[in-house]
Amino acid sequence: MAEPLSTGRRSFWRSSLLTLPVLLWSMLMFSRALAQPGLAPKLAAFITLAFVVILFHQMMRTAETNRWRRYFFVALGFLFPIGFVWDLIALRGSMSIPVERMISGDTPFCFLAIPMMILPAALTKTVIFPGSILPTASNPHAIAAMVSLWLVATLALGKGWCAYGCFFGGIEEGFASFAKKPRIKRLDPRWRWMPWAVLAAVVLLSAVIVEPVYCSWLCPFKAVTEYPQVRSLETAAQAGIFISLFLGLVIVLPLLTKKRTQCSFLCPFGAFQSIFSKTSAVDVRIDTARCVPCNLCENNCPTLSIDRDAVKAGRPMMSCMRCGACVDICPRDAAVWHIKGTAPGAGGERARLLHLYAAWAFAVMFGGSIIANTLSKLIGLVV
Amino acid sequence: MKKLTSILGHSGAIAALIIAVLGPFLLFGWFQKGIGAMGLKIHPSYSGGAVSRVVERAGYRIVVHARVGRTTPWQRVAPFVQADWVPASALPASVSDAVDVDGDGKPDFLVAFKPAELTVDAVALNPRYRPLHSRGVTSFSALIARVNGSIVVRIPVE
Repeated sequence: MAEPLSTGRRSFWRSSLLTLPVLLWSMLMFSRALAQPGLAPKLAAFITLAFVVILFHQMMRTAETNRWRRYFFVALGFLFPIGFVWDLIALRGSMSIPVERMISGDTPFCFLAIPMMILPAALTKTVIFPGSILPTASNPHAIAAMVSLWLVATLALGKGWCAYGCFFGGIEEGFASFAKKPRIKRLDPRWRWMPWAVLAAVVLLSAVIVEPVYCSWLCPFKAVTEYPQVRSLETAAQAGIFISLFLGLVIVLPLLTKKRTQCSFLCPFGAFQSIFSKTSAVDVRIDTARCVPCNLCENNCPTLSIDRDAVKAGRPMMSCMRCGACVDICPRDAAVWHIKGTAPGAGGERARLLHLYAAWAFAVMFGGSIIANTLSKLIGLVV
Repeated sequence: MKKLTSILGHSGAIAALIIAVLGPFLLFGWFQKGIGAMGLKIHPSYSGGAVSRVVERAGYRIVVHARVGRTTPWQRVAPFVQADWVPASALPASVSDAVDVDGDGKPDFLVAFKPAELTVDAVALNPRYRPLHSRGVTSFSALIARVNGSIVVRIPVE
């Protein structure tokens, strides 16, 4: 029988040493917030800094990844809509986008629209989104800013965006964490193809009817961010679809299945991002020599990226978002972090560390600033 | 060969880390500039299209945009032409203007609106344009709205 590969628990001081770069990076990232006038932004930045550093320290100390990542990701998922809607209410008194704002290019850009933009941009040099290309005083969330952010995340993390960067995935991951055991255990694996079908449909339809179809008709997260002002039967139907999809795929099904069902069954951006799964140098492999098919990895994968065929093939499917749930749960250390080009099982902890430093650097910079920003608003209510 | 692939793999992982760290200091700026330099524009069905001419009136001006047609036969936003009355604060209580879109010296439509009420009546003087009777926003191609200190009117086009 092969020797176990796991690092096991590290000492406090060794974990602290490994966390030191993250502490320094976090201090750098929050230095501006810490220097802001007023107690609320300082306190929010300090709490967020402590939060991300402690989580990373725990990752180092316990050698578990997903458990601690999830705390961060769920915090991001729940705090992002609060901060976003807070700003919308302050700016225009409502979550709905009036047409006037669309005409003036003041709609904040969302990364989910990126796949739908590509064809029209390539063919007509126009962007089918009512935002602005470069940041303006009235719209800092411009298209170029968000696309740049996505490019950096994709180059650094590939599909890891869905585990460390997406500010929507944390909502369903939060609901998926509530129940101790899933009520629905078997999900038809054919549903896995649905995001690809949605991606193909929305990309082609958007180019044909010249509007971002997913944003207009299918995005569940419109229910907790912003949506077109209800002025007609059509906009009322859109609002109904957004709310229904949010309730079904983001709240109810994750509660029943303990899976990220919106990501697994609908999200076209997740499918799009899977294409970049190949670009990241770190992935997860399953050592078939060590594996006794206990199905723990399959049952615990939040995005249905592992099945028996994947286990036999020795690697999860391309929808794997590098959350580390399978590596953490595997009792025989058969699921391991892996640097491409190396033998599976060799240097698993080195692969994990390299992945985590890159992922956490991005997460602290992007998600950390969102968390601190919303916390600052909430703390401002009481101090 | 195994050593080479291993070196490449490790280099890739370290490059990912460097990219993540350089992101906020260099890469975001570079990528933004790159995207800005691509010459992309917001689709005219949202932005109203390029400005074709500006007509001066007493105390205000009319910014006339080029006709926005359909990019594809299935585009949901119907063709329209947009005109902006700027600044809205200088407009009289009731505005009535004949607008020449193509600059041929002949007015194409006659627009009458009340800035305070955002109601508009447009009569087509050229068969290419459609009449418009709207209070506020009817659709993306038929509307009167207050946008950034101006009154924007979109007239449907045949």
